Parts: sequence; C-alpha cells; structure tokens
Amino acid sequence: MIWRSPAGSILPSALLFAGTMAIAALPPSAPTIAGTTDCDVPAELMQVDHELLLFGQRLRAGEPIKIVAIGGASTTGAAAGSADLAYPHRLQETLAQWYPAIPIDVVNKGVPRQTAQQMLERFPSDVFAEDPVLVIWETGTTDAVRGVEIDDFATALQNGVNELKARSIDGVFVDMQFSRSTMTVIDFERYLNTLHRVGDVNEVNVFPRFEMMRYWSEQNVFNFDGVTKDQRAGLAASVYQCIGQHLAETIRIAVQ
Amino acid sequence: MPPQSRDLRLDFFRGLALILIFVDHIPENVLSYFTLEAIQFYDAAEVFIFISGYTAGLVYGRTLGSHGVFYATAQILRRAWQLYVAHIFLFVIFIAEVSYTVSTFNNPMYNDEMRVADFLDQPHIAIVKALLLEFQPTFLDILPIYILLLVVFPLVLVGQRLHPLVVLVPSFFVYVVVQIADLSVPAYPEGHVWYFNPLAWQFLFMVAAALGLREARASLPSVRRRALLPSAVIVIAVSLVIKLSWTIHGIWDPFPGLLLKELWPVNKNNLSPIRLIPFFAAVVAVATLVPRGVPFQRSWAKPLILCGRQSLEIFCLGILLSALGHFILSEYNSAVITQLTVNVIGVLVMFLTAKVIDWYKSMGREPTLPAVPARREHERSVRP
Repeated sequence: MIWRSPAGSILPSALLFAGTMAIAALPPSAPTIAGTTDCDVPAELMQVDHELLLFGQRLRAGEPIKIVAIGGASTTGAAAGSADLAYPHRLQETLAQWYPAIPIDVVNKGVPRQTAQQMLERFPSDVFAEDPVLVIWETGTTDAVRGVEIDDFATALQNGVNELKARSIDGVFVDMQFSRSTMTVIDFERYLNTLHRVGDVNEVNVFPRFEMMRYWSEQNVFNFDGVTKDQRAGLAASVYQCIGQHLAETIRIAVQ
Repeated sequence: MPPQSRDLRLDFFRGLALILIFVDHIPENVLSYFTLEAIQFYDAAEVFIFISGYTAGLVYGRTLGSHGVFYATAQILRRAWQLYVAHIFLFVIFIAEVSYTVSTFNNPMYNDEMRVADFLDQPHIAIVKALLLEFQPTFLDILPIYILLLVVFPLVLVGQRLHPLVVLVPSFFVYVVVQIADLSVPAYPEGHVWYFNPLAWQFLFMVAAALGLREARASLPSVRRRALLPSAVIVIAVSLVIKLSWTIHGIWDPFPGLLLKELWPVNKNNLSPIRLIPFFAAVVAVATLVPRGVPFQRSWAKPLILCGRQSLEIFCLGILLSALGHFILSEYNSAVITQLTVNVIGVLVMFLTAKVIDWYKSMGREPTLPAVPARREHERSVRP
C-alpha cells in the first residue's frame, strides 16, 4: 500500500496545479540564491499543506527565531565532513538571505543511529531547553533499519507531535533518504507511510526528502557511482545544500 | 477429483491470497493499490492463515479419525518440518541478497545509519537465531508463525475433538489479553518482536481449524449462516467505505479519510479487532454466497486453484519472485510499465510452476489411482 503520492502517479495534474499556485503566491521579492546546484524538483514535491502559525507570527513581528533540527546522521552532516555543510546550516543560510532583518538561528541536534523513540527522549534536553519556534524532526531511518514495530514508531511520532502542540511549537517532519541499493534490503515503505500519515492526521507538514532524492536519482542529478572518496563528500554536501534550500522554501510557503 | 467432498473455494482463495502476497511484497508497487488492503482492513495474511487453519482441521481431523492420534501427530510434524526447511531456504537466499548489497555499497550518505547488516557482524548468532525462528527478516515472517501453530496443533486437534470450546475459550482469552495488555513475543535482534504475534494470530487459526474439523463444527451451537448474513454484509460495506476513503485520501489529499484520526493505525501485529471482525464477516459472506464448486470449474479459475493446491511451493516461489522483482525495480528501472511487467511475469511464473508441479504429482499418482478410495485421494491433495 502506498500512501504517499508517488511522483508521476494518479492525479499528478491536480497536485501540480496546487503546487504551481502555491509557488505563484510567493512574494516577487524572493531572491534566488547565487551559486546553487541545479536540483529543482517537480512542483508537487514542494506542496505545503499546513501553515506554520508561530513561525509566521514571529516572522511578521520581526522577532528573533530559533529553529531546532533534531535527527540522525544525515542531520549531523557527517557524510559531507562538517556540520556547516549539513542541511540545517544551509537552511539557516537561506532563511538569513531571505529575511536579513530577523536573526534566525538553526541549532543542529543530530545524533546518528537513533530511533524516533530515542529522539523523543532527547526532546526535553535538546529541543525544549532551546525554546524553539520551529522543530525540524528528521526521523525514521533507524527505525526502518532496525525494523522497530510499526505501532511503536507511530506512537513515538504521535507523542512527539503532542508534546510540540502542547507547547504551541511548530513542527515539520523530514522523512528518510532515498538510496536504490538500500531499498533492496530495507523496507522503508511502511515507515514512510506511517510518518506521512502521522503528519496528515495531525496537520503537520512532512518534507518529502525521500521522493526528492528519488527524483534526483532518476534524473541522474547526483550520481555516486565511480567517484573517489573526496568527491563523494562533495557530492553529499551538494545534496545537503539542495535539501536545506528546498526545506527553506517550503517553510517560506508555509508562512504565506 | 471427488466432487462430493472437494471445496474448491479453499484452493481458489488460497491461490488468490498467494498471488496477493506476492504483489504486496514488492515495495513501491503500483498494483498494491488494487489488492485487498486497499478496500478492507485485513489483507492476504488473514486469508492465508484462515485457510491454513481450516484445511489443517479438515485434513488432520480426518487422519485422526481414521488412523489415530499418533499417526496424525506424525503427519502434522512432518508438515511443520517441511515448512521449517522451506523457511531456512528462504533465509539463506535473503542473507545472500543482503551480503551482496552490503558489500557493493559505496554511498557515504547512508554509511552511518545504514549498517543494515548488523547481524552480519555476528553471523554465528544470527544463523542460530534464524534456526530458532527468532530472527525473522522482513517478509520472512509468516512461515514461522505457521510452523509454530502446526507444532502445537496435535494438542489442539485432540482438544477440539473433545469440544471446540475446550480450545476456543482459552484461545479467545489469550487474544483478548493481548489486545488489552499489548503483549508481544520477543525476537532477534534485541528489541524486535514476532511480526505476526502468535499469541494474537493463534485465535484466527483455532477458529478456522474448528470450522474445518467436522466433529468440532457439529458440536458448536448451530448458528444459521443466513441469519448472520445481513450483519456481515453491513460490516463489509461499512469497512469498505471507510478503508476505500483512506486509500483515496492517500492518493489524493483533498479527499477526506473517514474516521482516520479515530481508527488509524490499525494494528496488524496483534490482529486488531478492526481487522478480525470484517474478516469474519467476509468468511460468513463467502461461505453463504459462494457455491463450493461450480464457479471455480471455469478455465479462468484453474490457475488460481492450482496455485492454492501447491501452496507451500507457490508461497516460497512468490517470496523469491517478489525479492527478485524488487531487486530489478530498484537496481534498474522503477517505471510503472516495468512494475506491471514484473507483476505479470511473476504471476505467470507462479501459474506455470503450479501447473508443472500438479502435472508431476498427477503422473506419480495415476497408476495407483483406481485402488485409492476417493477420500484418500482427497486427503492427499488437500494440504494444510
């Protein structure tokens, strides 16, 4: 069973239309970033369903904004070699360019190889202690790798959402990374569906990293085959940069 | 084939379940929109376990009646052994696939998190755990519960012949306790549990076995199926509307998912009542409305019936083919047309194999056929 709307599936035109409208509604002043990698994705992957209320308020009031990115190895940015090359830092850079008058700080709380439940247990110390306006929760990979019971995964996500809502903190989920070769041995599908459904039921946006990376893989935008070790780190950094920028863009759409 | 005793519905629906299990086991498969899961809360797993339980009651109940408890026990354990060997065979193939993938892995973005093959660090433990059925990689999880249920089945059979409630009352009690207390059976690696919780799924198997065992069915209070039919149809219709709305909602977001917040997630590990009740309703409806033989003697039903009759071989083949199909889709091309081709070829291979096995078995059987009474023939060909 596939709950996500896969790229190019049934009703793509309706989704495309919705996505196009959302992008058309952007302020004309939104500057494009110089020196970006060419990693555009179909408009339907940039679709945003739910508004980020608190983030929007702070933005309009011109108050300082703190974002916490909690997640796993791909949040730490280990593959690229440094946290400055990870997507949370790219997110901060992009938002800073768009909203230069507002101090925006993105705190990186990535710890490799943790399940959603283990991340949830870090919420008091790593998330709430920072007093964030928005929490980016990148999760699901370790749960899928370890084959955590799907109900336990759903419960951990739900509890996390409840805790954020109780404190009126905005949240965005980031789903797993896509890789052809791992797909053959890890069953991501159930975990992806669960993550997307928890977002759907709770009206929390889910950033479709998995579908984006699949799209790049199919379009051959990033190719890890036959490159040296150093080049691979550079390639990983480019992927993180694209993720960070697209994430910033969806956040901007979500506060319109 | 003895028309008086053969219930072709068993073969047909088991064959159908095997095909659906194959289709559902290919991740990211467009055809999985069109399996049972899309329209009902239960899926092919319930069908498979139910029919397995029913035929176990039917066939081993007869053996028990004609040859006594020791022979029936021996026959059941022999079947459990066959399933065990099949499971280990599938496990070896799984390990080969994982080892291959891991050793050719070169993408740094996943290195930290994708140490998929933690168990390859300790193969001596992983293999022993697999032999003990405690290690159940994805998709290799339905045979272990079937094996376990068969191992205890001689006792179940004796109990059910005394009176079905001797088995069904404790079985239901355990099922209810699991639902309330959320008990699960630990597996390997640490933190894992049996995907099909045997403490919950046993109830479906025991009910099916009681229905299949003639003596048990006779001593159950006689409920007229026709009287149950209207409520069964209502349950089926309501769950169809709800589940279909979820499926459409999953594809196209603006469509509302009815009662989604209230009912989701529906627990499969513990066979949530939301799955079980509509499934029983479907059993009542099929048993009442679908005749035993006639519709399945047409040529279109033949391939499914053959698959259902060779269930163990076709089940294993289906699991292998879905792994292979997934490998092709993820390594080379996952376009919709490739997905459909993989599905079609897989199903054809399953049909063809079932046909060949049937031919082979019939060749071996033919010379002795006249000497064998109809009932023995039936016993031999209906396999739990």
